[in-house]
Amino acid sequence: MVKVFITGIGSISSIGLNVQECLKSLREGKTGIGRTNFFQSKYTETLYFAEIPLSDLSLKQRLNVVNEKHFTRTTLIALSAFQEAIEDAKLSSNDLTDFSTGLISSSTVGGMCYTDHLYTDANLTSAPSEFVKSYEGSDHTLQIVQRYGMTGFTDTINTACSSSANAILLGAKLIKSGRAKRVIVGGADCLAKYTVNGFNSLRILSEFPCKPFDNNRDGLTLGEGAAYLVLESEEVVGDKYKYAEVAGCGNANDAFHPSATSDDAVGPVTAMNLALNSAGLTPDRIDYINAHGTGTPNNDLTESVAFEHVFQNVPPFNSTKSFTGHTLAASGALEAIFSLLSIKYSELYPSLQCDSPLIGFNFKPIDQYTTGVTINHVMSNSFGFGGNCTSIILSKCS
Amino acid sequence: MFVKDLAAISPQATHDLKFESGNFHDIKSKRYLAIEPNYLEFIPANLLRRMGRAVRMGIGAGLPLIQRNKKVDGIIIGSANGGLEDCIHFLNQIVDYNEGTLTPTNFVQSTPNALAGQLALMSKNTCYNMTHTNGSLAFENSLLDGFLFLENQHEACDVLIGAVEEISEYNYNIDFLAGRYKNEEVRNSKLLSSHSEGTICGEGATMFIVSNTKENALAEIVDVAQVTTNDYNILKTITQEFLKKNELVLEMIDLLILGMNGDVRTDVWYKEFHEVLFQDKPVLTFKNLVGEYRTASAFGMYLGIRVLSGKLKNVEAISEEVTENVKYILIYNHFDGIRHGLTLLKKIADKE
Repeated sequence: MVKVFITGIGSISSIGLNVQECLKSLREGKTGIGRTNFFQSKYTETLYFAEIPLSDLSLKQRLNVVNEKHFTRTTLIALSAFQEAIEDAKLSSNDLTDFSTGLISSSTVGGMCYTDHLYTDANLTSAPSEFVKSYEGSDHTLQIVQRYGMTGFTDTINTACSSSANAILLGAKLIKSGRAKRVIVGGADCLAKYTVNGFNSLRILSEFPCKPFDNNRDGLTLGEGAAYLVLESEEVVGDKYKYAEVAGCGNANDAFHPSATSDDAVGPVTAMNLALNSAGLTPDRIDYINAHGTGTPNNDLTESVAFEHVFQNVPPFNSTKSFTGHTLAASGALEAIFSLLSIKYSELYPSLQCDSPLIGFNFKPIDQYTTGVTINHVMSNSFGFGGNCTSIILSKCS
Repeated sequence: MFVKDLAAISPQATHDLKFESGNFHDIKSKRYLAIEPNYLEFIPANLLRRMGRAVRMGIGAGLPLIQRNKKVDGIIIGSANGGLEDCIHFLNQIVDYNEGTLTPTNFVQSTPNALAGQLALMSKNTCYNMTHTNGSLAFENSLLDGFLFLENQHEACDVLIGAVEEISEYNYNIDFLAGRYKNEEVRNSKLLSSHSEGTICGEGATMFIVSNTKENALAEIVDVAQVTTNDYNILKTITQEFLKKNELVLEMIDLLILGMNGDVRTDVWYKEFHEVLFQDKPVLTFKNLVGEYRTASAFGMYLGIRVLSGKLKNVEAISEEVTENVKYILIYNHFDGIRHGLTLLKKIADKE
């Protein structure tokens, strides 16, 4: 079976405008959760968010796309992370336009991030806005594809919070099947009134910065971010630096409830076991888990139950959502990148805000920055509304 | 991979198979709405009340397929927009009530994903579950996902692959503002000869049970390809490469199924495709049956499978060109002349 390597990474989130800045925050235990400067909503007074510290205009200036009036914030942050990833992997413009290079992105809010423009266009209350052709969930993908003249396979996935984990899964399968030699995978989601009001109506937002795996956790903190990884087949990888190999992936549906996970964690357990099987690894080989760990009472309990089912001894784990908030569709790819940093630098980052670990379990998240630990195999979990559960295994290249 | 079963809820009478026996539904409207079945036969009333059109149509076409095919090992859905009606209804409340206290009734975080999730939930299916939202390629992406899934299985496997799109007031308005629709009512029978800008929107849910085994198959899906380009020459190259990869030459295609939608600005792509690459080949069209929507190519495939399995009576009602001796069908569909999809179908030989 063809091996799939990760040769480039790019990210933008509340803890950094690129991978290096994110790494610095992770090492320093510096969270990106706080009050907002740019996102406009009634809830910015009462709730915490993890905002990317740049206005839309600053993002446009930074990317040199000030004249692209129809670019939404989703597109802008996606472009930022995409550009960093392809530069990191040293992809040429010929590599990008080649028929054998693909792009699989993902987003939940997609082009519908400007609630007020969408309101006027959808209700015909004024002349068409500049975003009238930008509302589709896949608009950001199309903008990237057109900007770089990509002619290969393109896809956009929306499986809620597991979206970009599924982009990684599908990209790896596409390369293994021989249909593509190189696929850029990831996702982007920005803060939007639609998401904030929706999650608020479901009563799953915390009034405090989220506390993953803490007894007193009471909800998640919404964040924004974009993250992309360049996957390349062993055939074209050459002597490039390889962050890791995509060793295994598993996807299953919990089939329990539209917006909650089951008590016995059927979906998460199945996804994790499928990922281990496809990687050909026994559970004891996993050195670190980047948990889904949203900070909702439901998720963290279910995920802990799943850990108990799958592992005899639960390996060190954290929820980096305690830094970045929940970046929704972007979270799977963003957390895969953080996992790669652990592999590359042989270090583990703390899970923040866990003061009293979950009662009834004999494990707790990593509580401090730890260096000098060899990380060979990482499991990264992502579970979404609609019961969609995905687990990815990344392995260090020897 | 092989198609074992299929179902559609569409602006034609596909829900009760009257379309298959030659009933052509002539619609004069600015919107071609789907003819919906009585869902209460298989969706509990309390659940049905809370379902938006897209989910309702998707369940209506997909759930009976899952139920009558027992072992379904995956659910793969393509939908560019999912249930936009609920989505924008919720958004309107956000603006109208200035982010006041809202009930979650109309909120779904990822509306396209709601159908695959709901199908899994209602059939207690914990298998592979995926939703593609890549605009007008979402169905083609789902087919490719199906290939990738089935190729990796060591045993006989069936997956549900489908597509859904709904017409809501809101997405109609948005696409109308974007210049995509005609401003007058057009009969679907006259849509393709309307010689004006824009098209008429349609909707529907189209579902297939697809397998890695040939037994009892209705037709074979040989391969799928796609490209995003505004350059006709690239489309031409991709098409030639696609056929070559599948060891075919242009002459071996017996029937084209094309996505013409009556928009003079973009139907030229199909004209060029037909005249330059496939001169004299018979053509079947489908947007004169169901209108234009992002995942309409799924209905094109539905039609292709019906032709190949001999289940379409009185085909001449929709096309005079189709003969009985069709072995290979090529479906070509595009949206806005930007995203282009190709799907190759093959007849199951009588004796093999």
